[in-house]
Amino acid sequence: MRIDTCYFCSSRIYPGHGIQFVRNDCKIFKFCRSKCHKAFKRKKNPRKVKWTKAYRKSVGKELAIDPSFEFERRRNIPLKYDREFWQKSIEAMKKIEAIKNKRQNTYIMQRLRKATELETQRDIKEVQRDLSLIRSPAAGLREKEKMEMEESIVEEIHDSDDEMNGNTRMMEVNG
Amino acid sequence: MPGPYRRKKTHYGDTHLQRRWRTRNRKRDLDQIDGDLKEENAEKLLNQEVDVDKPGDAQFYCLHCARYFIDDNAMNAHFKTKVHKRRLKALELEPYSIEDSERAAGHGSYIPPKKRKLQTQTPITEKDVIKEMELSMN
Repeated sequence: MRIDTCYFCSSRIYPGHGIQFVRNDCKIFKFCRSKCHKAFKRKKNPRKVKWTKAYRKSVGKELAIDPSFEFERRRNIPLKYDREFWQKSIEAMKKIEAIKNKRQNTYIMQRLRKATELETQRDIKEVQRDLSLIRSPAAGLREKEKMEMEESIVEEIHDSDDEMNGNTRMMEVNG
Repeated sequence: MPGPYRRKKTHYGDTHLQRRWRTRNRKRDLDQIDGDLKEENAEKLLNQEVDVDKPGDAQFYCLHCARYFIDDNAMNAHFKTKVHKRRLKALELEPYSIEDSERAAGHGSYIPPKKRKLQTQTPITEKDVIKEMELSMN
């Protein structure tokens, strides 16, 4: 049983599913469902359509570069049947699959963790910017004004003394 | 279900665009054009033999848009259009291929597409065409 990959969304195509298009240069495009086929007919770019694997890998949403991806490959060389080799490779496939899944999951979790960090930073910034909504900027204003009033009265007294001296001097000049 | 309701509801997805998306009307894909841009292919396409069935006898071909024009005037005007510039921009990145789709599915690591600078082919003037005709006559 051969499981193909969809040209558009890179999902698996099981036998009896999907449709394929053979272009006039002999290239075969396989599609998992009519959704992907329609998108292809509309000449959509899979790298720009958000629900495709190509988009998710190119933008860094999923683990894209890893040695665990190098095992599963199209190899156009026939292998002679060997029972021991067969059993061993099936064992290895299971192990590789488990490791791959683990790595992919940790990648996504790390990405999400970073997002929570950024979110807390953004929240702190927002609170600092809009602090006036939580605590009124006029909260301590009355007390401040009182303090200032007292200070100004003291200053005025000083000022009036200065003015008096100035006036007498002016008078002298005029005289 | 007679009346306006039927008229409205029984033609879902029935657009005039559907005709354009038919296989019969399929135009060259970006990855095919990418192959055309290789030097050996580009030379062949730019210096095609006279084909009376094609527009302009297949003498005025825009490589990037895969289109024939009737004369040099029409082609040079096309080079200044948005359609052509948009196509140049689309071809800047390496086009998506079947191998890319397999890599995205997990058969091999992801390889980011390369970027390059593209320029429109040198515009053809009428004199060039006449010269070529003379050369071929000789």
